[in-house]
Amino acid sequence: MITSVPSEMFVASPARQNRVTLRKTVVSCVLLAGALLLGIVLMALVGSEQLPAGSSLCALASFGTTPCGLTRDQFDILFQIRLPRILLAAAVGGSLATAGAGYQALLRNPLAEPYLLGISNGAAVGTMIALVFFGTIEWTRPVLAFTGALLATFAVYRLARGRAGATPERLILAGVIVTTFLSSVIVFVTTLMDATRIRSFTFWLLGDLSGASKTLLPIAITIAVAGTLALTLHARSLNLLMLGERDAFDLGVEVGRVRVVVFLVASLLVGSSVAASGSVGYVGLVVPHLARLSLGSDNRISIPAAALGGALFVIVADTVARTIIAPRELPVGAITALIGAPLFIYLLKRS
Amino acid sequence: MLEARELTVSYDHRVAVADLTLTLRPGEITAIIGPNGAGKSTLLRTLNGQIRPSSGAIVLDGQPLERLNRRSISRRIAVVAQEAELRFPVTVLEFVLGGRFAWSTNTGWGWETERDLQVAEAVLRETELSELSGRLMNELSGGERQRALMARALATEAPILLLDEPTANLDLSHQATLLTLVRNRCDRNEAAALVVTHDINLAAQFADHILLMKNGRAVHSGTPEEVLQPQILEQVFEVRVLVDAHPVTGGPRVTPVHDRRS
Amino acid sequence: MLSPIQTVRLLLCALLLATSFACTSNNAVSPEGPITRTLTDDAGRRVSLPFKVDRVISLAPNLTEIVFAVGAGNRLVGRTSYCDFPAEAKSVTEVGDTRTPNLERIIALKPQVVLISTASQLEIFTQQLQDQNIAVFITDPHDLEGVFRSIQHVGEILGQKEQAGLLVQKLRERVQVVEEKVKQQQPVRVFYQVSGEPLYTAGRDAFVTDLIRRAGAISVTADVPGAWPRFSNESALATRPEAIILSTGGSMGTANSTVTEALRQSPAVLQGRVYKINDDYLTRPGPRSIDGLEDMARALHPDAFKQ
Repeated sequence: MITSVPSEMFVASPARQNRVTLRKTVVSCVLLAGALLLGIVLMALVGSEQLPAGSSLCALASFGTTPCGLTRDQFDILFQIRLPRILLAAAVGGSLATAGAGYQALLRNPLAEPYLLGISNGAAVGTMIALVFFGTIEWTRPVLAFTGALLATFAVYRLARGRAGATPERLILAGVIVTTFLSSVIVFVTTLMDATRIRSFTFWLLGDLSGASKTLLPIAITIAVAGTLALTLHARSLNLLMLGERDAFDLGVEVGRVRVVVFLVASLLVGSSVAASGSVGYVGLVVPHLARLSLGSDNRISIPAAALGGALFVIVADTVARTIIAPRELPVGAITALIGAPLFIYLLKRS
Repeated sequence: MLEARELTVSYDHRVAVADLTLTLRPGEITAIIGPNGAGKSTLLRTLNGQIRPSSGAIVLDGQPLERLNRRSISRRIAVVAQEAELRFPVTVLEFVLGGRFAWSTNTGWGWETERDLQVAEAVLRETELSELSGRLMNELSGGERQRALMARALATEAPILLLDEPTANLDLSHQATLLTLVRNRCDRNEAAALVVTHDINLAAQFADHILLMKNGRAVHSGTPEEVLQPQILEQVFEVRVLVDAHPVTGGPRVTPVHDRRS
Repeated sequence: MLSPIQTVRLLLCALLLATSFACTSNNAVSPEGPITRTLTDDAGRRVSLPFKVDRVISLAPNLTEIVFAVGAGNRLVGRTSYCDFPAEAKSVTEVGDTRTPNLERIIALKPQVVLISTASQLEIFTQQLQDQNIAVFITDPHDLEGVFRSIQHVGEILGQKEQAGLLVQKLRERVQVVEEKVKQQQPVRVFYQVSGEPLYTAGRDAFVTDLIRRAGAISVTADVPGAWPRFSNESALATRPEAIILSTGGSMGTANSTVTEALRQSPAVLQGRVYKINDDYLTRPGPRSIDGLEDMARALHPDAFKQ
């Protein structure tokens, strides 16, 4: 120990109070989790079919053990269709927001986003291969989607990283290259598919949460939670990584190891959400940005906050998508892009 | 104490540092000067463990550097490099607290201890940044940011400081302030510092030792008076120089002389 | 440079073209012969057609079927890769699929008329083909009458008006037989599934909705805007259909052969009233649509067809 700090010299700096502390993190996360829970319940009351609100609330409160006067069909709509879909929306939103925060730290750029970087497209190609070759074996979709996302991440990372980290220009260029390349792969594969599958696939490419399958939903939720925890547990390293790989190395971060963790975890998150719901864009951009704006750049708070906020964001966006032209539906990706694209332009102009 | 013995570094298929021996002793500032491409920054990065030497050894407090893990190296060696571009809003205090990372027991979800905060606040005072501690880094001036970088390095409490062109973006008064900070650390806390610089006069003023490098080799090494001699400098930098005594410090003062007729 | 008079004439021609009148001064004689007739297609365009058409390309499987059915199959010089019926159609040159036909190959085949269906979303090609002096005729049937109209139009274009008329008459008779039989039956509430995941159904503008009605049933999604809307799972569940029709088989293979998850507990499934009807009959508005109508009616009202 070199520095000795005489206690009488100690004066609290003004920044001390505004620092991110465990207390502040826990309070923020509890509040956000409460908002998420409220969101889940409220959004479960809205849909293309009207359900009696009181009975629905009562049935939800009983965790589906008592129908509370709901008819069999209403009960099924609530618990077999709406709730699984909302939970999938939460898992996808949480996953994409966390992955976005991870990519932003890794590439040192707040514009990094799985959809815009083409990583979602990588996962989509993987899912497509799974659909074409192992149509009925559902678990192959997240596995191949993960592989696709990982390869796309690697490509983007290699293309985008310059001496000064990923400058916005380099990053966007790398994203455009990877996205367009993989888009042509997707077009190529879809032309080999038959006509009816093309239609469902193009809808799915824009993000579709209607297929909350019983196999993929638990996988998506598990990966969302585990992935967020894994990245949060590297938050301090990511804080430094965000400021530069060299600096982080100098300060004691095992850059190589942390990089591999982010690569794997973020790809896993994108892979599982794309396999379950297609490519929902801009979530990874909008939500971490809002988290940093309101809570600061410290990943110890911004990653879990982004995960919870992302879950809420996609739940609300999907509720709009499934009700606005009911009984028809819009792809949820169209709603998130409607909100995300203007923000992206704003961020780009500022950087 | 940091020692480099017969260090050779090959980098991008060329030899960047060749057969270099160097010792950083507590209480001393060593300056490395030399023309562009002499291998100065590579040497600094190698001493910090970022670049692996192709031969030779680096010994930190009696232990080979490659046997130490990253955090224990970072607790003993701090680096001040040119400022990196910040794209995220980070306050000065948060930035400086980054220097405490190597001391944390938990590298991920850990929280700074009271002691971490006290150290950070002390170095903020030392670098005269206390007032700005709540400001965002990208709101600061270039000089203030460079001081924050210095503060972060000091917050590591590492006894060895490696500075890579620390004064490149600073005006005259801030250059002196920054090196005074380094000097104080060496004097009071028995720290050892290595400063890579282009500013020969600054080196002359603050350094105890000067290592003159060219083409990856140590050409001359010794006190400022020993190294900063016209014939040596003219040979290394390929420019005519005038060396006289500094009117205030009495140390050597180097002025390049450009012959206008040639 | 154009003289003022030339410019005025050019503008006038353009104006006349835009309002779909033949610009006689330039187009009186086309390479194929004099243009002496116009026909209004389903898009409301007045299409100028050569008198005698002996080279025609069809860009939709239903139109290929119609061309053969009116006895003009020998004049079909191009078809899409989806056009697999009748068997003779397969020996005709392929010009790509309905979504991305090969324009160069189409032009190289020197057709006088190209028949397209809005279902194949080919409006963008229209201009380019017209620039090559190739007439483009669009069909867009929304009901059975529309299908008959398509048949009559194709017959007229290809100079097979009589045969087309006979065909339509025969088809009408078959429709009448079906309608007569189901008249006394209680209409069945039917959910028509185009694809299960994600869920697509037939909406207001789909001709199959009319087909379902004529088969003595009511499509529960008959009022949903659009032809093939993406449909909400929970709304599907709430429709409680008495029967479900899966359009599958034919060129569709085994795709869409299972009921979508949301309808697995519906009265239709519980009572075993899930019917697979050949997709080619139901998605290709042509002569075989009547086969589809008969199959549907027979499946939905087995009692009416007993004796």
